[in-house]
Amino acid sequence: MNRSINLCVFLLACTATTLLMAETPSRSAEKLREWWWPPGDGRVFPAYVEYDNELGRLGIVNANGPIETAGHPFFEPLGTNGRACVSCHQPADGMSLSVASIRQIWEATNGTDPIFAPIDGMNCPNLPPGDPASHSLLLERGLFRIALPWPPIGDDGQPIEPEFTLEVVRDPTGCNTDPVYGIDGERREISVYRRPRPAANLRYVVSTRFGVSPFIGKTGMLAAVDPETGLPVNMNMMADAREPTLKTQAQSAARTHMEVAKPLTPEQLEKIREFELQLYAAQVYSNGAGRLDEPDGPSGLGPRALERGQDGVLGNNTTRYVIPMENKWANLPEGDTPEERERNAFRESVQRGHDVFFFRTFWIRDAMHINTVGLGNPAKRTCATCHGMHMTGMDTANGWMDLGTTNHPWALEPPEDPWAKKLPELPLFKITCREDLPPHPFYGRVIYTQDPGRALISGKCEDVGAIVMQQFRGLAARAPYFSNGSAATLRELVDFYDRRFNMRLTEQERIDLVNFLSVL
Amino acid sequence: MTGRAHRGAVLLLLISSAAQAAPAPGERISFVSCPIVRDTRTVPCWLAEYDGETYYLTIQTDVSAPVTPPMLGHLVLVEGVVSDAPRICGGIVLEPVRLSVMPEIDANCNTLLPADERYTIDFNPRPPGPSAGRLAFAPNPSGQPEPRPALEGPQTVDVYFDFDRGVSFRHPSDLMSIVRIARDLPARRVRITGVRGAHLLSDGTLLRESAGVGQRRAEEVARLLRGAGLEVEPEIDWIDGEAEADGIDDWRSRRVTVVLFPD
Repeated sequence: MNRSINLCVFLLACTATTLLMAETPSRSAEKLREWWWPPGDGRVFPAYVEYDNELGRLGIVNANGPIETAGHPFFEPLGTNGRACVSCHQPADGMSLSVASIRQIWEATNGTDPIFAPIDGMNCPNLPPGDPASHSLLLERGLFRIALPWPPIGDDGQPIEPEFTLEVVRDPTGCNTDPVYGIDGERREISVYRRPRPAANLRYVVSTRFGVSPFIGKTGMLAAVDPETGLPVNMNMMADAREPTLKTQAQSAARTHMEVAKPLTPEQLEKIREFELQLYAAQVYSNGAGRLDEPDGPSGLGPRALERGQDGVLGNNTTRYVIPMENKWANLPEGDTPEERERNAFRESVQRGHDVFFFRTFWIRDAMHINTVGLGNPAKRTCATCHGMHMTGMDTANGWMDLGTTNHPWALEPPEDPWAKKLPELPLFKITCREDLPPHPFYGRVIYTQDPGRALISGKCEDVGAIVMQQFRGLAARAPYFSNGSAATLRELVDFYDRRFNMRLTEQERIDLVNFLSVL
Repeated sequence: MTGRAHRGAVLLLLISSAAQAAPAPGERISFVSCPIVRDTRTVPCWLAEYDGETYYLTIQTDVSAPVTPPMLGHLVLVEGVVSDAPRICGGIVLEPVRLSVMPEIDANCNTLLPADERYTIDFNPRPPGPSAGRLAFAPNPSGQPEPRPALEGPQTVDVYFDFDRGVSFRHPSDLMSIVRIARDLPARRVRITGVRGAHLLSDGTLLRESAGVGQRRAEEVARLLRGAGLEVEPEIDWIDGEAEADGIDDWRSRRVTVVLFPD
């Protein structure tokens, strides 16, 4: 096993190095200071700012006006490893962190930026820091290590007895079989690898106006509660919904990602929460479609639309829409100049992509927590069935479901053949569900997964591979996509869905969907 | 076989097939079968075959519907009453009908039929895509909370389950109503009884849920109610013996009964 792990690490190193050499940054490394926010930078965060990206420009509205970042807990390096919240929630990347930025910072700092801290910026803390091989998942796919206790610990601090056993089938990072960091190691941790989620538009993400009750709508189980108020929360914020509120998330992230010596104070937590709730991020200019926030344009585009919009509204209907466009870009005039003609053609493509997203039916099949909640299996519905929340395209609370992004046979894996140039990069776990309980309705009692997702928190067989859906905004600024970074581009994202659900999208439909997603 | 005996057998066959082709309206029927999806130009409809006949179960709606579709990949337990309504999607309509997805996977249940011009379904209650603005079966479109009745004496709430299953997406509203009653009464004592159910199918088969399911249900409901703020420690009981059934609304046997006492 050790020998094969070493080989995997070596091959990952080669791949990472090649990628670093081949990558052409979209933003100039020389102008790093203009778009990268190092911890403790001390600049004023303006009321409105735009950043270039490969597909245009992202706009960020800081709704309560400029803030001094000096001394602000979101921007200051509070922990022992030099990181701040902003390290992994960069404004230019839609308050997330794109793999393009990660690579540029690697080059600019020779791998010394705090984002490469061993605790989670390496595939495993036991690897040699500074070696690209040790950081290959971060450099190639933008993935940070998330170490979770195994078995899970409940809200009462007591271990939860899982409904399944878990074995490590493949361990390319070496972490899950490590004597310290492994599942059977001193720390009793399981390591999975995930993308950082955007810390913007969070008023929508944490809204409790729709579908929130003491009982989780999709399962009947107890919803998590806000420890300050005792009220149920929507559990829609993190990939596995393990933290109930922005404050508990900040406290947890400070402990795990920033390695703080002491917990954040209530004042620091409140300042972080306030700041996060006043940020709205969305693409504001598209290289193809031009300005996205024109007064007479579609009302759902641009960051100001998010600032104005209402949270907690179901948009899977023809009265509110998920992303309101009012058919503004349908049947546009051809245009007088080549530029106008090109722009209008792109805008019409965006409109068509919206219509595919909203109206084009396909069979949604074998997806846990969607086909099991009363729609039947399969259900003939549309993208907006799951991505139904107004303005963000998230799912209604509680938004975890298994679309197959991490579970076999759907998860993206390099083909197993003797000529493979690329080996699997992510761990693989075998889940065996207990015989005395109902099996997983679609996989049965044995499931292979790269990341058990929500099941690592709930201990439930039915939650294996279930991941909380992300918001759709600012996508152009923060590739790659899915929690495990398995879609490098928007096109790969669309292609995944086409394969997974046999959507039979035409080439034009794919292009239109990509263009639609690119302007959000 | 003599000619007379042969004619008799043919006659019996005819009678038999006539009976199979047209079960009488009002007849109760209960069977376990693979569900079948029939696509249409609009929403798909769900069917099942039993004893040479096709039955219509439901159409695709949304989570607010009283009857929700079953799942391919699983058998479905069907309990219904034959209706005299015109066939839908070629199937005899069962009304009312109760469907329960069987827990184990059955790869044989994989029939998805293409749309057929003979079968059309209109857009009610909702199309396959976005709705017109509300859930299809929202009981209270005004959005105003319904007035709560004054409560007197012990209150009983039955919570029904799918075959061999525990709490699911069907139950948040039941559980919430128990929590509300407990607060409004207010409840000084709560008794929770889990029941293992059984079903007498139309072919005479007796189908029993797993032993211990009554206890599991009672304990799960108690845990959830405690977590949602039930202030009294409930008494928990279960009926897990050799459950019997008579073929009449047997789905009611798969339940937890919660009794809330004001004193």
